[in-house]
Amino acid sequence: MAASLVRFVRGGLGRSFNIARTSCLLQQQTRLQSSTTESRPTVRPKDAVTHNQLAAFGEYVAEMMPKYIQQVQVTCYNELEVMIHPDGVIPVLTFLRDHTNAQFRNMIDLTAVDIPTRQNRFEIVYNLLSLRYNSRIRIKTYTDELTPVDSAVPVHMAANWYEREVWDMFGVFFANHPDLRRILTDYGFEGHPFRKDFPLSGYVEVRYDDELKRVVAEPVELSQEFRKFDLNTPWEVFPAYREPKEAAPKLEAGDKAPEKK
Amino acid sequence: MAGLLKKTTGLVGLAVSHNPHERLRILYSKILASLQTMPQDAAYRKYTEQLVSERFNHVKTEPDVEKLEQKINCGQIEEVIFQAECELALSRKMSEWKPWEPLIEEPPPNQWKWPI
Repeated sequence: MAASLVRFVRGGLGRSFNIARTSCLLQQQTRLQSSTTESRPTVRPKDAVTHNQLAAFGEYVAEMMPKYIQQVQVTCYNELEVMIHPDGVIPVLTFLRDHTNAQFRNMIDLTAVDIPTRQNRFEIVYNLLSLRYNSRIRIKTYTDELTPVDSAVPVHMAANWYEREVWDMFGVFFANHPDLRRILTDYGFEGHPFRKDFPLSGYVEVRYDDELKRVVAEPVELSQEFRKFDLNTPWEVFPAYREPKEAAPKLEAGDKAPEKK
Repeated sequence: MAGLLKKTTGLVGLAVSHNPHERLRILYSKILASLQTMPQDAAYRKYTEQLVSERFNHVKTEPDVEKLEQKINCGQIEEVIFQAECELALSRKMSEWKPWEPLIEEPPPNQWKWPI
């Protein structure tokens, strides 16, 4: 049941994690099942048919391009996610656009996620839509502050401004982009505001100076000194990704079984 | 009179094709030739050959365009031609990229772990 719910085509290094993930999804599924027996209309019913279709298509794509695809997964909300190596951006996007069984011809969104604790802190996310088959797919890749990613503009024209936005907000450099410059921040702005290490107050503040008769920019002066807030929430933030604590060693022992399929 | 000759596909930028069979025959044979250059066990070659030859058979056996569209079941014949053009361009790029090779590099540990 868990294997059909989330099928990891390539386990890679996060193998034990995958098992934990599948089991946590299994937990969630049991919760969903119990809720459906209670016929609660607020809980999203699970759609096994769509899920299996997406899982089959994910396997198909991963089998076609094993050189670039590191992992394929279907999330608990029935979204197909393909994790690729950054070198494979152009090949994978072109394949998904031009292959007759895929035809993901529309780029819906391109964005980035900053996770500073990782070795490659930026995740680049591409959301694609296939009008022919009425389906969506999400491609994820990774990079750090210095490594450039290939620009998707030769494949999808829509990526032009999205990549400018990601460059502006996160400082991810896109190689071969036709016009990579700021798009949202002000002229002369320094820094990348969506990075996690960018302070909420910014670095400079602007005000009108009566003596100089113009707007001047000055470094921010905070009237209050830095305080460490306790930001830990008492609520559970990711219930869908709950990791079982006591059940882990038992699953480690049965590591091989779900691998074979 | 109306309906004898197709006037438009109803799609912007996609003109009516007057000889779809010939066009598809040329495109499909080119795709198959381009697939021949790939290794025998490449998944892309296997699946695409299967797909293209299936459509190619329909094109060979069915002279009527409307019935052919129904048999292929992927939109109008002009759209099918467009798909074949894309597939041909893709297959040529694929033999350059060689995506059937083993994984280029494993992801760093915990790269795809979420939440963090």
